[in-house]
Parts: sequence; C-alpha cells; structure tokens
Amino acid sequence: MKKILALLLAMMMLIALAACTTGEKPNNTGAKSSIAVCLASEPDTIDPALNSAVDGATLIAHLFSGLAKWEQDANGKLVIVPDAAKELVEGVTNDDGTVTYTYTLRDGLKWSDGKDVTAADFEFAWQRAASYDLLADYGYMFEVVDGYNDIWETNDNGEQVNPDAKLNVKALDEKTLQVTLYNAVSYWNELLAFPVYFPVREDVVANESWATDPSTYISNGAYTMTGWDHNSVITLEKNPHYVDADKILMDKIEFYLSNDSNNMVANFKNGTWQLIDDVPTNEMATLKSEYPDEYKVAGQIGTYYVCWNINEDILPEGSGLTGIEAENARAEIRSAIGLLFDRNYIVNEISQSGEVPASSFVAMGMTNPDGTEFYKTAGANEGFEGYYNVDPAAFEDNFNAAVETLKKYYEFDGEKFTNFPTLNYLYNTSEGHKAIAEYLQGALAGIGITMNLENQEWNTFLNTRKSGNFSVARNGWVADYNDPICFLDMWTTASGNNDVQFGKGDHASVACYNLDLTSFGYDVKVENGTWADTYDVLIKTIKNCTDNNVRYQLMHVAEDMLMETGCICPLYFYTDTYMISKNVTGFFSNPLGYKYFMYCKVSD
Amino acid sequence: MNSKTMFYILKRILLAVLTVWVVITVTFFVMHAVPGGPFTSEKAISPAAQAALEAKYGLDKPLMQQYFTYLEDIVTKFDFGPSLKQRGRMVIDIITDGMKTSAKLGVIAAVIAAVSGIVLGAVAALRRNKLIDKIVMVITTAFVSMPSFIMGALLLALFAVSLHLLPANGAAKGGLVLPIITLSLYPMAYITRLTRSSMLDVLGQDYIRTAKAKGVSGTKIIFGHALKNSLIPVITYFGPMLAYIVTGSLVVERIFAVPGIGKAFVQSITNRDYPLIMGTTIVLAVLIVIMNLVSDILYKVVDPRINLE
Repeated sequence: MKKILALLLAMMMLIALAACTTGEKPNNTGAKSSIAVCLASEPDTIDPALNSAVDGATLIAHLFSGLAKWEQDANGKLVIVPDAAKELVEGVTNDDGTVTYTYTLRDGLKWSDGKDVTAADFEFAWQRAASYDLLADYGYMFEVVDGYNDIWETNDNGEQVNPDAKLNVKALDEKTLQVTLYNAVSYWNELLAFPVYFPVREDVVANESWATDPSTYISNGAYTMTGWDHNSVITLEKNPHYVDADKILMDKIEFYLSNDSNNMVANFKNGTWQLIDDVPTNEMATLKSEYPDEYKVAGQIGTYYVCWNINEDILPEGSGLTGIEAENARAEIRSAIGLLFDRNYIVNEISQSGEVPASSFVAMGMTNPDGTEFYKTAGANEGFEGYYNVDPAAFEDNFNAAVETLKKYYEFDGEKFTNFPTLNYLYNTSEGHKAIAEYLQGALAGIGITMNLENQEWNTFLNTRKSGNFSVARNGWVADYNDPICFLDMWTTASGNNDVQFGKGDHASVACYNLDLTSFGYDVKVENGTWADTYDVLIKTIKNCTDNNVRYQLMHVAEDMLMETGCICPLYFYTDTYMISKNVTGFFSNPLGYKYFMYCKVSD
Repeated sequence: MNSKTMFYILKRILLAVLTVWVVITVTFFVMHAVPGGPFTSEKAISPAAQAALEAKYGLDKPLMQQYFTYLEDIVTKFDFGPSLKQRGRMVIDIITDGMKTSAKLGVIAAVIAAVSGIVLGAVAALRRNKLIDKIVMVITTAFVSMPSFIMGALLLALFAVSLHLLPANGAAKGGLVLPIITLSLYPMAYITRLTRSSMLDVLGQDYIRTAKAKGVSGTKIIFGHALKNSLIPVITYFGPMLAYIVTGSLVVERIFAVPGIGKAFVQSITNRDYPLIMGTTIVLAVLIVIMNLVSDILYKVVDPRINLE
C-alpha cells in the first residue's frame, strides 16, 4: 500500500517537474545587451501599411527605416531627422500649386536579407498602402499626395471610378524618389516618419502572410525580427545590414505580448520586464508613491471629452422655441452645462494620471506655425487660455454663470431645476470611464438634472455612438500627426467620425451658421447657412489652403464654430502613463506614443 | 463490448454531432445579431473602404448564404477561413498555436487534480477522523470555496512578486507552473472530497465486510474492491471537471498572461472577428462534447452493472 502511494506521489512530482520545463529557451545572451518590455497584447498586424495601432507602430519603427525618423537631439528635444533619405528637402511649387519633392536615398541601404533598398521599393510601398486593393485603415494618410483623390473617387453605387489611378510618386532611378503633393503640407516630414510611409519590397509582400512569421519578415530598419511566439513574445535583434548599425546600442529587444495591466505590474515589480505601458487605474496612486522614479507620465496629443447628439432636444416642454432660435438656445444650454463640471477635480481625484484640464478640443501638443501651443491661442479670450477658464479658482464663477444661463430656459425652485428633461449618458464599459460618468451624473444631480448612465461593450458602444442613438456620450480622440486638422475634419457632415451628427437628421436643415472668410481673401460669405454650407466649406478651404499662417487662422475659426455649438465638452488632455526601470537610460517616446529602445542601455 | 453498448455509443456520437451543429448555428446567428462589426473602429474608415472590405470577406452576402458557405467550408474542407482582424493569419493557425499551450495547461492540471485528488481522498477516508483527515478536509474546503481568479492573484503575489520563485508571465521559462497549480486546485479539492465520501460509503458495504471476514489482505481490499468502486462518482465528475478547466483557463490565462486559446477566444469576441469566434467556439464545444462522451463510456467500463440505456 505504502509503496503504491509513494509511486503515485513520485509520478505527480514528475508531472509537476515536466510542467516546470515547458516553453523555455536557454537564456544565453552573453555580453549582448537586452531589454524586455510589454506594451500591449498581440498586434493585429505589423505590416507597416496595414498597422493602425500605437504598439504596432513602435515595433515597426524599430524594424523599418523610412525617409525620415523621430529622434531625440542633444537637448532631449524630439526632432524629425532624415533616415533613409540623404536630407529632408524643401518642396518645389509647380505652376498649378502642387508641390514636388525629390529625395535622394543614402548609400549602402540594405534589406535584412542583404538586398539593396531602392527608390522603387518606396514607390511600390506607397502605391500599395494607398491602394483600393489593400484597404488599409491608414491609407488616408496619403490624401495629401497628388492622385489620391482619383484612386478613391466612387460613383453613386460606391464603386471605384478610376481603377487605374495611382499616386503621383515615381522612382526616377535607383536612388531618386519624386513625389508630388496637392499643396504644401506643414506636417509632411512627420508623415514621412509615419509607419504607413515605410518601404516594403514587392516580392516579400506578395506572400499575404509575410508579416506573421520571422522567416518571411524582411525589413530594412535597425532591427530584424528573429522570433515571434504568437500571443507570447516578439524578439527583435540588431540588423547588421542597417546603415547606422554602429549607432544602435541595444542588441536585443523582447516585446512581451499581454494586455493585462495587473500582470504587467507583477512582472515589472519582480524585475522581469523593464518597461510596461499600462498600469491598473486603481493602483496608480500606490504605484506613483512606491515607485516615484519609475512611474512616468508623458504627454499625448489627445482629448477626453463628452459629446452631445445635436439632434437631442433638451429644451423644456412648451418652450415655444423652434428652428434657428431653438438651435441657438440648445447651443447655449449645452455650453452652460459644460461649465458645471470641475475638470481639476476629475484629473486630480478621479483619473489621477497627470492629465491636463482641457479648455479646447484641439489637444495640447498641437502647435501654431510660430511654435506656440494651438490651444493657448484658441478662443481668443482675455485672461485665460481656451474657450473657458479651467483655473481652479474660476470654477465657482463658471458654475454660477452656467446656472444663470440655464435659468433663462428652465424653472428653478431656488435650489434645483425642475423641468430639465432626463438625459442618458453612454460610455464603454471600464472602471475609469464609469468613475467619470458618476462624477458627471453627481454634478448635474446637484442642480436637479437627472442623467442616467448606460454602459456598453466597446464594439457595440462604437456602433451606437456612430449611428447617433444616444443623447450624451463619452468620447476621446488621439491625433495621428501633429496638425490640428485631424481634430477638425472629423466633424464634416460626411465624416465617419461625426458622432455628434452635425448636418445629419434634423440638423441637416438647420440654417443658423455664419461663415465669413472675406478677410482671409476668400470669396466666401454665408449667413444663416446649414452645417454643410459653412463648416464643410471651411474644412475644404483649409485643406486647399497653401498659406500656412492663413491655414492656421482658419483652423481656429473652425474650432470656434465647433465649440459654439456646445456639442463638444472637453474634459482633459490625455497623457500616456508607463513604468520604466531606473536601470534603463537612453529611452524616449514621441508625442504619438511610439516608444524607442534602440539607444537604451540597461545597467545591473 | 456487446451490440447494445455499440448502439449506445453510436447514438451518443450522433447526438454529439447534433450538439456541435446547434452550437455552430446559434453562435453564428447570435454573433451576427450583436451590434458592431469587425471593421468598426474608433477611427472610422471611409464607407467605400468599409464596403470593399466587407465584399472582400463575403460579409456583404445575405446572412443565410454566409451561413451555408461557412458550414460547407467547415464540413468539406475543414476550412475555418482567415482572421478578419489579424490580417494575414488563418484561424486554424491561431487556434493551433493557442491549443498547444492551453492543452498542455489543461491536461497537466487535469492529471494533477485527478491523481492527487484520488490519493488524498483515499488517504483521508482510510484515516477517517485522524489528524491527516482533518487537515485534508480543512484545506480542500478552502480550495473548493475559493474562485480561481482570487487563488491566481494570491499565488502571483506570493510566488512571483514577493518570493521571486516563479515567473509572473505564462510565456516565460517555468511560467506555466503557477497557472497549472491555480487551475488544478479546485478540481483536486473537489475530487478529494468526492473520493473520501464515496470510499467511506464503499468501505461500509457488505461485500467489503465479507472480504474482510474471508481474510483478504487489506491492500487487496482497498485496491481490488474499495478504490475501484468508489471511483464511479469521481469518473462522472471528469466531464464537468474538463468543462471547468476549459472555462477556468480563460480567467487563469488572463491572470498569468498565458498565450493560450482562452485569450484568443475572448479577444475575438471584442474584435467581432467572426471566423475566429466561430473557430474557437467550435473547438471548445467539440472538446467538451467529446470529454463528456468519454466520461460516460468510462462509467460503463468501471461498473459493468450500469445500464447505459
């Protein structure tokens, strides 16, 4: 009996032992430097043209080399510098207003399999990324390039009109690439450093699964992918063929693939991972005090805001207001409600990640042509920046002013409003959004406005919000490149991101907007026009404007229009919270959230 | 095996096929009824691009047509199609990759749970009301009442963060030890309790007393008669145990960042990655159906008295 028992126990131990030795590789990095990080779970794709995620972009920025790249200069400032191009040339303006750039590639550029990188590889990659066949999420990043509009022109049935249309980009010879833009674009160099503009080789991408396996993943950047255990880890090792290989300090980077923030923290605390890109919201305060040197908050160009459905009627029953008067009243009411929220309380007590209270929709980090912050010159108000004062001291005045405004339209019994229609606040399921929703609910309840909360799972939420089945909803927007237009062109009538439903439904026929661009030299003057007559025209004008100073002034006009509707209620500017080991030096991240490890050193 | 048993098994297999078909059908239509789609994202693509993408993957066809095409591909070609979200990857590859880890995790956890549960249960029964029995009962009561996400978090904090003995990441060397322990504790405790009570029951039976009276040795009584018969209820638990391990691993895989199929399953639903939702659902359904079938057949093997009808 005892013998058999002992045998069984021994068997169990053997099994446990077998379990201990699963899925491992010998860890012989020798003298080579290495770093292990965790940004997110398995990327959907790391094909430079198809990727639309920040973690994917970080991987691609290490694996590929475009004409330009982000780098940190000696003062720690982030700059765009030439990478595969010899220099980032100025464009030449043609007679028709288009602008042509001619780039020369550096000598000695190689793919990771040793073949030469040519201008034709860039031409191929760009045509592919913008093509109707590939249907890449970020294909529209080429909308500034001549020819793009022809490719995407569709007839009334939604069919492509010009199947043979191509971008105006040509490889003049092995080393010369010429590209023509519709007009001068201030953020063009930044686009060149964007993954969708990176080269890929025709024979490599002919295999549709090329970007899912290290053996077929041929790249031209600082690193090559040497391993990909799906859902587990992606390993990058220094590319000996990279032209600047001698400047790359980190030999090996392991990107662990997980999106569980609690697990990330456990691995960070025990020293397994040197950088994690997410921390659990409810542990932020503790981690910040326990790891003051490791807990980092970086700026991010994005805004967390509340959006109204413009077609939601919030006037009290029997207000008697109709048409233009009713819309103007609603705009005034929505703007007033935006002032009832204490943004400092939200960032200091609820979100707690160093966010900045927002007083405009275009986020902090966007700059005017003269280098000043766009949001600081927004709203043109005396004494404060933006469209309303977010100084903690100003909150009480804002609140009182808002209540006074609301009194014009609703019955007030001395403490509370009694006839404000019930609102519904829609948000996607998450503890963080819930906490903010509850604060907003409480703030409104204080003056008698009932707002019910409803949460939906992410994909369902996106669908509901896009189709306008909500009265008030959580929203957020993060820029793809450093130009305010990416916060503004999303609100045109036809835009797929027009969650407010500007110019749609009943609002399509509301003619209460004015636009006067004569002082900017345009023959545009509309009084009492619809959203399509005014805002859509304004955005189109901005996109075709070649004078950068005028263009930025027009963008301020567009944001003014947007904010006057009161439909957008910015709460705070996003930040990117991450934790990095004290032993790591040389790390930097860019405003779009890409993280760079190539110049890192890890001490023991 | 007589013809009656054969007939029974055949009937069960047909029923299993029917079950899987029902699962496929229900999942397919419910999945399409849920709002949102694979190409919905915070930054909307243009309507033209959206339409073209839908046409590329056949999502523009009538739902019934999509359903029959899907069934046909599965049955005739065993083709689960491409993932809509992870472009360039086939669903079958994603499932195979995930299953490698999940199967290892599940099988080891199940074996540990079964073996240690039976041993501990038998020991507790034979030493009834002695110290060892009491210790076993206290510990198993604790394990049975503790959900795996709490157990997982506790083990993670203790072994991976405080003591630095084991990795917190399931993909690392030795990373599966903690998930396996987490996953096996509950079924192990359950089997221990089941074996103990069943064994006590059997030990009180007349035939055991007869055997004892005949002078059969203690070892032979325990292993020849008592243990075998007391395992019948334990075997019936194997089906539910597997179901527990499969579903429990969804949680455990997340806690320990294990690159298993559970992760793919949960993510596919959030992403509305239709082919991947179908693929993972079918694989998990088939697995559970097969294990229940095996457990029922085992039942018969252990106790020939049981009439399967």
